[in-house]
Amino acid sequence: MAYPTPSPSRPRRRRAAEGIFVLALLAIALALTTVAWDGDAESPPSQTVAAAQAVAASTQDQFQDGERVFLRDCAFCHGDEGEGSERGPSLEEAGPAAAHFQLTTGRMPLRSEEDEPEPGPPAYPPQTIDALVTYVGTLGRGPEVPEVLQGDAARGRTLFLYNCAPCHSSSGTGMILPAGDVAPELSDSTLTQVAEAVRLGPGSMPPFSERHLDKEQVDAIATYVQQLDQDQNPGGHPLDWIGPIYEGSVAWLLALPLLVLVIRLLGRRAPARRPGSKEGP
Amino acid sequence: MSRQERAPRAVVAAFALAVLAAVGYALSYAFDLGTQFLGATLGGAFLAVAIGLALWSSRVEEQEPEYVEERELSASPGRQWSAFEEALTTQPVPRVKVLWSMFGLAVAAIGGSLLFPLRSMWTRHDISPDIRLSRTSWSRGRALVTEEGIRIRPEDLDFGGVLPAFPEDDDLTNVDAATMLVRVRPQELELPPERRQWVVDGVVAYSRLCTHAGCPVGLYADQYAELLCPCHHSVFDALRGALPVSGPAARPLPQLPIGRDGDGFLVALGDFTEPTGAGWWGYDA
Amino acid sequence: MRMVLRGLRRFDERLPIASMGRSALAKVFPDHWSFMLGEIALYSFMILVGTGVYLSLFFEPTTAERLYTGSYEPLRGELLSGAYASTVELSWDVRGGLLMRQAHHWAAHIFIGAIVLHLARIYFTGMFRKPREPNWTVGVTMLLLAMLNAFAGYSLPDDLLSGTGLHIFYSVTLSIPVVGAWLAFLVFGGDFPGTAIIERLYVGHILLIPVLIGVLISVHLFFVIRQKHTHFAGPGRSNANVVGSRMYPTYTLRTLSLLFFVAATVFLLGAFVQINPVWIFGEFETATILSPSVADWYVGWIEGALRLFPPLEFTVFGYLIANQFWAGIALPLATVAMLYAWPFVDRKITGDRGTHHVTGRPRDCPLRTAIGVAVLTFYTLLVCAAGQEMLVQYFGWSIGTVRAVLRVLVLVLPVINGMIAYVLARALLRSEKEGVLALSRKDLMLSWRADRRRVEPMEGQSPRPRTDDEERGLHPAETTPEEPERDLSEVPSWIRSSRTGGRTE
Repeated sequence: MAYPTPSPSRPRRRRAAEGIFVLALLAIALALTTVAWDGDAESPPSQTVAAAQAVAASTQDQFQDGERVFLRDCAFCHGDEGEGSERGPSLEEAGPAAAHFQLTTGRMPLRSEEDEPEPGPPAYPPQTIDALVTYVGTLGRGPEVPEVLQGDAARGRTLFLYNCAPCHSSSGTGMILPAGDVAPELSDSTLTQVAEAVRLGPGSMPPFSERHLDKEQVDAIATYVQQLDQDQNPGGHPLDWIGPIYEGSVAWLLALPLLVLVIRLLGRRAPARRPGSKEGP
Repeated sequence: MSRQERAPRAVVAAFALAVLAAVGYALSYAFDLGTQFLGATLGGAFLAVAIGLALWSSRVEEQEPEYVEERELSASPGRQWSAFEEALTTQPVPRVKVLWSMFGLAVAAIGGSLLFPLRSMWTRHDISPDIRLSRTSWSRGRALVTEEGIRIRPEDLDFGGVLPAFPEDDDLTNVDAATMLVRVRPQELELPPERRQWVVDGVVAYSRLCTHAGCPVGLYADQYAELLCPCHHSVFDALRGALPVSGPAARPLPQLPIGRDGDGFLVALGDFTEPTGAGWWGYDA
Repeated sequence: MRMVLRGLRRFDERLPIASMGRSALAKVFPDHWSFMLGEIALYSFMILVGTGVYLSLFFEPTTAERLYTGSYEPLRGELLSGAYASTVELSWDVRGGLLMRQAHHWAAHIFIGAIVLHLARIYFTGMFRKPREPNWTVGVTMLLLAMLNAFAGYSLPDDLLSGTGLHIFYSVTLSIPVVGAWLAFLVFGGDFPGTAIIERLYVGHILLIPVLIGVLISVHLFFVIRQKHTHFAGPGRSNANVVGSRMYPTYTLRTLSLLFFVAATVFLLGAFVQINPVWIFGEFETATILSPSVADWYVGWIEGALRLFPPLEFTVFGYLIANQFWAGIALPLATVAMLYAWPFVDRKITGDRGTHHVTGRPRDCPLRTAIGVAVLTFYTLLVCAAGQEMLVQYFGWSIGTVRAVLRVLVLVLPVINGMIAYVLARALLRSEKEGVLALSRKDLMLSWRADRRRVEPMEGQSPRPRTDDEERGLHPAETTPEEPERDLSEVPSWIRSSRTGGRTE
């Protein structure tokens, strides 16, 4: 028969344990709701820059406005006539498409000449960008801002998987490249920006010519990229669509510690080692 | 109210909550409220039961002392062991050892022969793996096409552009033939002399499979003319015959000799310079 | 209760169970929390089986293409492999399917993670020693099977990410000397991607490996029941007993509570954290890829090793030893061999041949603890190497720099960590302080100089008179002690308990 041994300290400890329990459960609930809210809180794509605005007719006003801003913010590196300098490249072959892409994705202007162009919120309001784009268009010859129509997303998906996914990931989250570069995330891109990037190949990106991907194909890709941005997370928090790296992190930093905490509360610590010595917490 | 009376009520409440959550789960299913509702109610039901049991358990533990159970320490007592040993070793048949050995041999023979049907798992066994792995479907005059099956001219690529290409009329799953076209400025190329005529207007063709673990080397950084495999980050220099620059890959990407046919389309001039993809025991460049 | 008892009684008339039942109810479980790590694994396995059966009702294990007509817009009207199409349908159109799929995947993470933690607990407390070496072997086998099965399951949906994983698996198989190419062709039914890999993985994933794991769980638990649990040292605790709570009612309630906690964690994660969204990754096309292409962490250590290994390749008598052989085959084989061999290696190092039922503390054998910490550091760094992309993004370094740093760390950090662990363990052992935080500088200094013989054998572990009995048991020719008569109508002697706690009163 099993005999009991007295253990007078138990009720006190249990009570404390119950308190921790409640705290732990609150923590779980909090963690999960935060996670869920993050998923819902994904803001809709910023549609601040519409293609139509960008290709608006260039009035004399716009031209002068554009010239003024150009001389103030751009000419230091690109030269007064856009001829370029040791600080920045010539814009004579850039054209409106490049100007529009660089400005609407916030890559230009740079804070200082040492900076690398990085995507971010645009520095100017849409009207100013339009004016600058129009002005840069007068500096030389270069591709116009493309007009992008809604295309065949299914075809775009296949083209995207072959031509874009290797760098930007199938999810468009973007990933690392050689030499410390990063293929940017595509989620906030507009149709026009996608089409421009495909043609221009900004930064490390290879350009895709009209003959390789025709207008219809680029429309299809841009449309698919737009679709990627729609809510496709029936399963909860998307974990950035990165996959195993973040999933494993959740398993090891959230799920398993939580369960270890649970067993720590359900179980007990080792008893004091020697008779007479103080009992451990 | 004393704690002794209060605690069971919490347990009852927890279990009642679990019942509610379970009903909620059923309703979430019936009304198709989506994964979050389903999971929250089901997970919530489990959680409520878990908490109820934990509270219950802590109540029981307060009144339950520790128990001590004795452990049988030794191996089987000697007499038991000798009885077992005797039962195992005493046999009336003479020359038992030979019989057991022959029995073992027979079983091993049957087992070994039963391995043979495993060969059927390899369904396409017309040629040996070494030969199969050494060749691709490229041959002289075969046109290069995109994944949509469209023929390619060198001008289709801008300078700095890339394009995945495949043999015309081939199965796309024949991945060892997959090719990466890169167009660079011809004067920047540093290829061995015998490979110079395989460049058409700056277009060079390399195998798309990494020589390390066979992943498609799909990433190309135009600024550095470097190809990157996203699996293990081997980097290859597109200007110097796709030599490995960094990462675990030890061999360059094989190059596909290409030329132009009468209509200006790209065609292969033969197979790759080496077997494509990962190396293996019988690899022979 | 009376109904239950009456039913049991009826059953007992046909198969007498009272005696066994009595001993089962009185079985004593140690109270320490770390003894429940294995139970987390057990319960997540149960959830895996349950959710997996549900998934198998809808999954089509085939690479044959068919038209996708489900409700996920971008794929509608595409010709997709049955495996991929049915996984997307399972996620978007089967009501409750996505919850089950995600819960299944999360449960797999928790399953293997809990096994690893359990293994670490056994290792650092030295409880793989005699008489538990066989059960260590069983446990290690289950860990390997679990990793294998998780990889198979991860590969089944035929999406771009898992297809890439299979391509690497194929290439690694190719690199096995002599037989590699033949083996790879057999497994895949030809050169990659072959014709049959999904179908074959499916048989393994839902039948062969789970059944094997199930059988091994039974064996594992049989060992635990027959040998009884270990317990931490303490007043009234010895090699000859086990102190804790009875199976019924205390431990039953506690462990059932854990079962439900595990289930709650798995299903809440399944509801709120999306895992493996294959509809976004896209179907597997052999010639394309996505970035980052990374495996789950339980095979990630192999992936990390593949990334860090230097570009070394050479031929032997004209035959190639391919680069991926070292990280993909040699390292996993060495890992497996090390795990299986450890109890025997440990016995050689420590010379400890005694029987142990009292759980050691990590400090009790500083060398073992140091080795364990070093090994854990090594594999953790390899897993980190499989997540290099995140390091590149976080630090803004180039891949080359991150790789170089990790190459150094993976060799140096295990040694440093192991040394730190060694010093701390010795200081703790010497000072007998509560924990690392309680140590003073003097403790650390002394531990560094401390004489090895200062390490005392643990309480209850000192040479015991019973050892002779064991020797006798194994060499029956010498003596034959009396075997105690057992009254089978009574409680068997191995659950007979005695009062020991009173000694300290």
